[in-house]
Amino acid sequence: MRRRDFLASGGVAALAPVLRLAGPLRRAAWLLVPMDDGQADHLKAYGVIFRALERGERAEWLLNYRGGAFLLPGSSAALRDATLTGVTAEPVDDAALVAIRAEIAQTNAEAVPLEKAPRVAVYAPPNAAPWDDAVTMALNYAGIRFDKVWDGEVTGGGLARYDWLHLHHEDFTGQYSKFYLNYSGAPWLTEMVELNQRMARQAGFPHVPALKKAVARGIGGFVENGGFLFAMCTATETLDLALAARDVDVAAAYADGSPMEPDATARLDWSLALAFQQARLEQSPIAAVFSDIDGHQVNSAGGRQPLGSFTLFNFSAKIDPVPTMLVQNHRQVIPDFYGLTTSFNRNRLKPGVTVLAEEPGSSWVKYIRGDRGQGTWAFYGGHDPEDPQHQIGDLPTDLSVHPHSPGYRLILNNVLFPAAKKKELKT
Amino acid sequence: MRAIAWPALAASLLVLAPSLAAQQPEFERAFELERRGNHVAAAEAYRRLLAGNPADPNVLLGLERVLTELGRTGEMAGPASEALRAQSADPVLYGLAVRAWTAAGVRDSSRRLAERWGRIEPGSEAPWREWGYAALARRDRNEAKAAFLAGREQLGRPEALAGELAQLATVEGNYAVAAEEWHHALSENPGYRASALSLLGQVPGDRRPAVLAALDGQSDPALTGVASALAARWGDPLIGFRMLDARLPAGQEGAALLVDFLEELRPLSSRDAAQARGRTLEALAARTPASRERWLAEAARAYTEAGDQMSARRLLAQVGDAPGGAPTLAAAAGGTLVSVLIAERRFDEAERRLGELRAVLDPEEHDRLRRDLVRGLLGADRLDRADALVADDSTVEGLALRGRVRLLQGRLGEALTDLNAAGPYAIDREDATTRAGILALLQVLDADSAPGLGAAFRALQRGDSAAAVRQLAELAATTPPERGGAELLLLAGKVAAAGRDSVKAEALLRGAAETPGTAAAPAARLELARLIARAGRRDEATALLEQLILDDPRSAVAPQARRLLDTLRGAVPGA
Repeated sequence: MRRRDFLASGGVAALAPVLRLAGPLRRAAWLLVPMDDGQADHLKAYGVIFRALERGERAEWLLNYRGGAFLLPGSSAALRDATLTGVTAEPVDDAALVAIRAEIAQTNAEAVPLEKAPRVAVYAPPNAAPWDDAVTMALNYAGIRFDKVWDGEVTGGGLARYDWLHLHHEDFTGQYSKFYLNYSGAPWLTEMVELNQRMARQAGFPHVPALKKAVARGIGGFVENGGFLFAMCTATETLDLALAARDVDVAAAYADGSPMEPDATARLDWSLALAFQQARLEQSPIAAVFSDIDGHQVNSAGGRQPLGSFTLFNFSAKIDPVPTMLVQNHRQVIPDFYGLTTSFNRNRLKPGVTVLAEEPGSSWVKYIRGDRGQGTWAFYGGHDPEDPQHQIGDLPTDLSVHPHSPGYRLILNNVLFPAAKKKELKT
Repeated sequence: MRAIAWPALAASLLVLAPSLAAQQPEFERAFELERRGNHVAAAEAYRRLLAGNPADPNVLLGLERVLTELGRTGEMAGPASEALRAQSADPVLYGLAVRAWTAAGVRDSSRRLAERWGRIEPGSEAPWREWGYAALARRDRNEAKAAFLAGREQLGRPEALAGELAQLATVEGNYAVAAEEWHHALSENPGYRASALSLLGQVPGDRRPAVLAALDGQSDPALTGVASALAARWGDPLIGFRMLDARLPAGQEGAALLVDFLEELRPLSSRDAAQARGRTLEALAARTPASRERWLAEAARAYTEAGDQMSARRLLAQVGDAPGGAPTLAAAAGGTLVSVLIAERRFDEAERRLGELRAVLDPEEHDRLRRDLVRGLLGADRLDRADALVADDSTVEGLALRGRVRLLQGRLGEALTDLNAAGPYAIDREDATTRAGILALLQVLDADSAPGLGAAFRALQRGDSAAAVRQLAELAATTPPERGGAELLLLAGKVAAAGRDSVKAEALLRGAAETPGTAAAPAARLELARLIARAGRRDEATALLEQLILDDPRSAVAPQARRLLDTLRGAVPGA
């Protein structure tokens, strides 16, 4: 799965051999998994598609058709899976399929073949609770298999085994999300500090910020070499800060024994970062704020902005299938949700970054993507789409009561994105 | 530190409000720009106004607000200094300057300004409080603490700024210091009690004993009052009462602390809370002779709720002995006595007393007690008497209760009528759910009378689940599956499972599951899967659930089966 040689070399043609070989399935050979309001469980639908790909079946993603529907061969395994999970799947015969394809051809829609289940990794410390990360929750709920990786795997080159990597609320500046002073003594923080310091010692780094910079470089290299990176919450902002701060001390004294360099902001090398540029660092070691990249500044005294709603952009499915895939949804306007990094100030985005969702009338955007080397990345602000305020110690989100969550759908779009068949990008 | 307000904001609004009526057009323009969110232009407009009058507090506060919005509070230092040069005796300007220099991180200047301000307003805590809060706005607790301590030293009073220092120490987890500071703060101003409770109430579980010990260790009844309230909030109301009782001062001061504690207990519904409420009310009665009978009657009721009939009786005797008590008080005491008698299973006496109280009791209270009596009679298997007491009750609760009486009597036709009439809303949700299940069973049985079923429900009522299971299974054996036999087997299986007889439960549920075409079959398969899952046989439960869904994806139990599958797979919390 490499970017720039991307999508559908012909969605229909790709599935034609399956259709021809299907024999008895000819008359009701297909299952249409609608993703509009007719779907009983939007989130589990992604799992059904993922597992079909794992079984070696092929699928199509019908972009902008019925909320971004999926088409599967009508195999008994797919039908069984959909039934067990409560996912709506409509039998479609060849005649109906012809009509669907005609509609797709005539509208701003496209059929993208999905070929192979991506190998998925989630970056998380070994003691991370399964309910502390929206992506882990979404993957668990949808039944999508993944491996957990951490610093050792990243610095040891282990990411090469994966197509897709997720980061959540990790702090790649190595400052423990800047909770160190405000939550001193809290058991969870003590455990986090000990775990990271032990890892840094084992890996031969003098302190945690040095380790995390190396990890950030490893992740940057993963993207350069063709990986798909999806990051949320603080991981977005701190990954870029750690990359840009390759030769600068941006960490507080409690993290590495020396304070942030006085001219650190000026010395950041933004050419190394993926998404952002010209950000100003937060100097105070006490404020749980990293820079002015985040538009909402949830932990900034006097600077915190209220939550609104964000709107997904419409793209041309035939010309821009990549962003189109990432914004497939049955809702265009989605309630916003806080995270340590909630959004991204527009004036801090690098040229060439594609905005996928924004809050109209505000100076920030919510969801962005871009390319680096042979790979691609997507950043989504906020912590948990169904827990807008998210405070430490909140009860875990139970996705079985949010099966239609449009915010979570955006996460799962990213998981299936690497499964799309490659072709040359048109834009 | 969210609980700590920023007085500067309030100050700015207070100053701004009277000026709006008399402001000049330039000021109006600046304010309008600010209101529209055009903060950059507003800042420039305010600056232009300051060129003419550098000490205008309204303009300065406007500039401060927009610079805060822009994240440029450091730029306030210049205008603030200019203002002080022009008008060096205005406390508002000092407040502004202290905030500006603190925001700029220049601690020495903040201190010097606070000292100068202090000389203008001798004895005032405001300069130090302003400095400290400005430091907190920057999340710099060390500077805030330094500001408050400097203020205390300057003012020469050990209790000065105690509330602020108490809040800081609490947030930092230094509970010994926090207790001492709260002691000073509460001595100065009892209004700090709410802040103390709010902040200390958030302390993590493992630190709570240390907090209680530190507060109690101050030997200050007011602080012990805080500790006892915290103990109640943290689930130990009786410990809270004992702590308070040990340090309770005599007279009105003690009574006030008891009333405060009572307020903490009111929202709590546990037996311990009811017991603590009874003891608190009893202690209050001893300290307030004028209201003694009222508190004793309430205490007796609390003891009844706690199941402590002996204490309730002891107090009711005292209320009864009181000469010239108010009629409403006598009625309340009488009602409590009826509750005590029901709890003691002295139903005939309870019914007689209730009859005597009919004229004086509030009708709703009378109905409530009558239903309590009916429930007691049901438990004692005195169905005829219970039936007589609800015969004329046409409220939804009464109908639900009458349906239950008739079910236990085996009068299924009448039970069905009453339960249907009660509808889905009577009593609580759990009761309504149970009632819906019973209704479903009665509808499929389609019989006017079934003494055997009544006997089985009576056994259940007594808590004899083994007898209930046996009777239900016997009844099922003589009833065709499609005429209710399957439902009876399912019910027997559920009762056996609830009674932890998993072997019998599994056999019965399998029997119900193998009744093709009945509505009970999928429900029995689901219950069987639950039983097997609880036994740790996850794979078997998973296979069972999958087959259940695949056989009938549209079954009413399919969503529950999917939910259980998710739980078994760890796909949702609670696995």
